[in-house]
Amino acid sequence: MALGVTYEGRDPALLEKMLPYVDYIEVTPETIAEVKGGKIGLSAEVMSELKNIGKAVKIIVHGVSLSIGSHEGWSLNYLHLLDDLLEQVDVVWHSEHLGYTKVDGEHLGIMLAMPKTEQALDLVCERVCTIQKRYGFPFLLENIVHVIPDFPGDYSDAGFLNALTERTGCGLILDVYNLECDAHNHGFNIPEFLNELNPTNVRELHVACGVEHNGFLLDVHSQLTRDSTIDLAQYAIKQVTRNAEVVVYEFMPEAVPGLGHDTIAEELRRLRACFRN
Amino acid sequence: MDLANHQRILLGLIRSNYQVRPDDDAYFHRVSQSRDLEEARGNIFLWRVYVLERACVLTFTLLKQRNLLKQELDVFIRQHNISPFRETQPPDFLEALSSHDDPLIASVAKFELSLWKVRQGDPASYTVFWSVEPHSILNNLAKNIPIDEESVPKGDYQILISRDLPFLFQIDPVLKQV
Repeated sequence: MALGVTYEGRDPALLEKMLPYVDYIEVTPETIAEVKGGKIGLSAEVMSELKNIGKAVKIIVHGVSLSIGSHEGWSLNYLHLLDDLLEQVDVVWHSEHLGYTKVDGEHLGIMLAMPKTEQALDLVCERVCTIQKRYGFPFLLENIVHVIPDFPGDYSDAGFLNALTERTGCGLILDVYNLECDAHNHGFNIPEFLNELNPTNVRELHVACGVEHNGFLLDVHSQLTRDSTIDLAQYAIKQVTRNAEVVVYEFMPEAVPGLGHDTIAEELRRLRACFRN
Repeated sequence: MDLANHQRILLGLIRSNYQVRPDDDAYFHRVSQSRDLEEARGNIFLWRVYVLERACVLTFTLLKQRNLLKQELDVFIRQHNISPFRETQPPDFLEALSSHDDPLIASVAKFELSLWKVRQGDPASYTVFWSVEPHSILNNLAKNIPIDEESVPKGDYQILISRDLPFLFQIDPVLKQV
């Protein structure tokens, strides 16, 4: 199992510490974007870094603002950024979150999960097919945290993902920490979910850790991975998602000063040892 | 359940500008009364804090020192369609505070916004006027030391912000016309 890590550019000292332990670097177009002349575009400085990184490790793209599930349509801004990024850097696959961040052009400020209905499934499948046709290489969707109570739809969580992959052939990211958040916050049954999930298309797993606030486990990617998350990821890899190729440790750039470069490097060394076998 | 209607109601609940009606689906009644919804609103606040406290250090520190951070950030979240592109959030936040009723908050926000623009490569020059001597204020905010406003000299000052200046800005007293 390969190991990957998030990197948002502009911190070559951190990159140098991380590279010995990872095979993949995950980049998020939105966080390497900048505003110039009132327009959003990719940072030339970070793109230059990525071109160099691409010589040493594989690059995967993980967006946050496509909003594939918005009823009125997805974000063209995101697709333009992605187009630009893919023109400049070789990428193994790209991915997004199975949810939505805007409604009628109004940003939620948070990502909400799709209601698991036939209508929502039809909409997402059509868009996944369009994306796969547009880019012609693998596209993955991630299970996201449910920040509000789940809508009782036509499918279970795993059933919705199974139908999605069956209809479109798209890949999946299994975010293990998100499963833990859902279990902690809503009593989500992880064993039942993993037992029902068709694991064939799971190519990537995510591990991360946030903080507990008012009794809720938050998906903020600010901490080192908990042992329980690693145990669950190892279980999923051995028992369920045998086709997965990489585990990605995610942390947000705002967490770097608090964690420190050496601690992040040590965490990657630990994760590499955990997932090597 | 129509997807558009579902998403619109949830947007309204998240933004606290939709009241669930008796004929709405029971699901929305459940969401509106849930602790999860309150926590989701709190998460939105925390995400803004994560982004803005790093990018708007001076203004953020001043708001914290005046116990106005929560109030001002809540207003900003409520009144702005905040883009998921985090680079757009700091200038939007600083722009909003540049017209604050408190002249010191307005001056600090204008200064930080101008500095942000110049650092981004903006070739324009900006002038921000102050009614107190800015050195000690900026020094304290940068080091997160409480400002003793009584001891700060009053007077008319201006800060010129330009990429042509050695440190990108220059503080000068405003000379009165004789």
